Amino acid sequence: MFWDRSPRLVVAVGMEEKMDAEKLVEVKNCTMIFPGVRALDNVDFTLLAGECHGLVGENGAGKSTLSKCIIGDNQMTEGELYVRGEQIAIPSYSVRKSRALGIAIVHQEFQLMEDLSGLENMFIGRYEKKGPVIDWKKLQQKGEEILAYLQCEVDLSIKVKHLRTAEKQIIQLAKAMLDDPKVLILDELTAVLQEEGIKNIFRIIGLLKARGIGIVYISHRLDEIFECCDSYTVLCDGKYINSGYVREINKQQLVKMIIGRELKNVYPEKNTDFGETILEVRHLTSPNAFNDVSLEVKAGEVIGISGLLGAGKTELLHAIYGNQKISSGEILIKGKPVRIKNPKQAIKLGLGVVPDERRLLGLNMLFNIKDNTTLPSMGRFKKWKIFQDHRKEAEAAFEINEKLNLKYYSLWQQVNKLSGGNQQKIVIAKWMLRNCDVFLLDEPTRGIDIGAKFEIYSLINELAKAGKAVVLVSPELEEIIGLSNRVYVMYEGNVMDVVEGDDIRQEVIIHELLGVKEK
Amino acid sequence: MIDVKAFEAKSNKFKGGFKSFFNEWMILFLFIFLFAICSVSSAKFRTTDNIMNILRQASFISIIALGEFFVILIANMDMSITSIIGMTSIFFAGLVVNAGVPIFWAIVIVFALAIAVGIINGLLTIYGHMPSFIATLTVMNIIKGIYFIYSKGLPISGLPDSFNFLGAGYIGFIPFPVILMLIVATALHIFTQHTELGRSFYAVGGNVEASKLSGINVKFIGVLAFVFSAVLSCVGALGLTSKTLSGNVGIGENLLFDVMTIVVLGGTSLTGGRGKIFGVVIGALFLQVISNIMILMSINSYWQWVVKGIILVVVVLIDSNSKHD
Repeated sequence: MFWDRSPRLVVAVGMEEKMDAEKLVEVKNCTMIFPGVRALDNVDFTLLAGECHGLVGENGAGKSTLSKCIIGDNQMTEGELYVRGEQIAIPSYSVRKSRALGIAIVHQEFQLMEDLSGLENMFIGRYEKKGPVIDWKKLQQKGEEILAYLQCEVDLSIKVKHLRTAEKQIIQLAKAMLDDPKVLILDELTAVLQEEGIKNIFRIIGLLKARGIGIVYISHRLDEIFECCDSYTVLCDGKYINSGYVREINKQQLVKMIIGRELKNVYPEKNTDFGETILEVRHLTSPNAFNDVSLEVKAGEVIGISGLLGAGKTELLHAIYGNQKISSGEILIKGKPVRIKNPKQAIKLGLGVVPDERRLLGLNMLFNIKDNTTLPSMGRFKKWKIFQDHRKEAEAAFEINEKLNLKYYSLWQQVNKLSGGNQQKIVIAKWMLRNCDVFLLDEPTRGIDIGAKFEIYSLINELAKAGKAVVLVSPELEEIIGLSNRVYVMYEGNVMDVVEGDDIRQEVIIHELLGVKEK
Repeated sequence: MIDVKAFEAKSNKFKGGFKSFFNEWMILFLFIFLFAICSVSSAKFRTTDNIMNILRQASFISIIALGEFFVILIANMDMSITSIIGMTSIFFAGLVVNAGVPIFWAIVIVFALAIAVGIINGLLTIYGHMPSFIATLTVMNIIKGIYFIYSKGLPISGLPDSFNFLGAGYIGFIPFPVILMLIVATALHIFTQHTELGRSFYAVGGNVEASKLSGINVKFIGVLAFVFSAVLSCVGALGLTSKTLSGNVGIGENLLFDVMTIVVLGGTSLTGGRGKIFGVVIGALFLQVISNIMILMSINSYWQWVVKGIILVVVVLIDSNSKHD
């Protein structure tokens, strides 16, 4: 059906000898506190020379925070850091120092200047000079040396924007190799790559390992962990769960460790009283985003759309909302086929969207609470059909925001100083005030604290009970499982599976989600 | 029984704070301060004649600035207003004096021209995705070329005396331009604060994407802003033309800088989404008072450029560095 990357256990030869290999990085009792959030809680991590160490966990588990602590982008609040046996003074630790100690990182996102050549991208800020001018010959020679070291062929002379994704990734990797690092952190490097590119990365990892470099490998795709890592460390909600050798575990065990805890009973009873089908999508396709997606949602129903980054979830919501081009397929509202060309029409048809980027797409940060709440329904509050009735608007905004238990002191208060959870309530409130039939929620709990999350959950539940149709997109599986009557699992733009009723369990969905074929 | 506490909590939530009122009307307090200082220090300044003079001189430029206000409100810039002013002046005089068109129809024609220019600006910027600075600068030069070709750079005089009323007439003891300016400003104030369409300009200026997702036709609003700018420039141009009773190519020449200063001085944010109609009006009065007092103190008029330049720098510095969040 899709790529068959069935697990293949790769056991490095001579693992036992590595037991006494040099400890390149050792993190002890690392705790990282951001204002209001304990991002890491007493985490241990050890990287040996010549090993590839998989760092796994859900979104927000603390993988990136830990790698940032190691490279000095974050200074850990508590804990000790040793690099090659030497203790590091945390307060003065920085990215510059970690680079000098031989630690390099390659990010998932491209940090390349598109209009410069690959060569210049590699050496930017570190040009070799001959007197006052750049010694291009020497750079060319050095660049080729590094590519030869990685055993890759990329044309360094052409502009980066003309390179393929996989080649850009190689340039990033080559750039990281400039300082001859001993430790290399690969942060979701393969997320944007196709099969062939991934294989190439694995080959390079093998090469580097053989030369005694330690690699921290962060990835969402569990198969990759089994394919190229020697050892693993699992984080969950900022806590250290376990670590060990990859060859000693199987995927089921790993999945269980990643999920970690039992589903807590934070989700309200799901509504089961459904009405007629309100929104139906048939064979919807949007070029480069998703293919042939069909789904339906009834009044009173919550459907979940689950998938990794790049699965096409957000694009699907925007396509339904008229904010993304569709090439084929149709949308039916209450059984009638409709053409939705822009959000304005979508709103007229009773759709409302809560976008993922609350600050960029959801709210007008310069507006006050009242104006944000009433923005899509201004037409309802008019005096003599022309003038806005501010009093009526305020009354309506007050009523709905009180109902949602919003924390604020004045309706004329600007929204930018409210907390994330309160801002999100306003985004939802504006569609409730508009009296929408269909709520398209894109990651409604992104970046808000746990208490506010629960409030949003019960809000979603109340919407369903009030006979609204809810489409919920979330990267958090727990959320989807806890709230949805039916789950559509997307992988790389396709709906892989529809899970209903008792089948809505983490084990079932996570396999589809990660593109793992279950036998 | 009435729950007093809940009632009080509710009524509090319906109140805005005094602090925000002070911040938003900073320019008003500055203006009062400036006005007080000038009144105290100069006897010539505080005469009724002089104050009426200031009001009259500020009126047409504030009408023009109110047009630019809409464009800046949506975080764009309209450089073409100087040419729209020149174009209106020349073609209006040309139509009336050379072609013998009745004044009413000449006014209709120049308004239609201005609307067309506004639409072109809007299409280039909003639909063509050109930076508004470049789009309107280009349009400015094209129009300038056209009316220079038509007039050969010469003034067209001989407009009927009755037309003089627009720029120099009085109703009672109040100059007519002042009344016109107050009518335009009040209408626009109601439009921006109390109509759905008017509020949409603030929404689009504050956050285009969020406005689009909230169902606002953001492209229409964008084009409309440029049309407003062109139309109000046209009104201002007719007023300025009426003062001299002749069409003049250079009539709008040095206005752009003053207009920008007025709009920003009035509290309009260059990043969009913030600003008030009467803020702009006060901004115009502020600038006019400064010119006036400098003339009364017989300071070389070139110094006005220096002072106005410094004012613009200071105001934009404050705007660029104040945290809007």
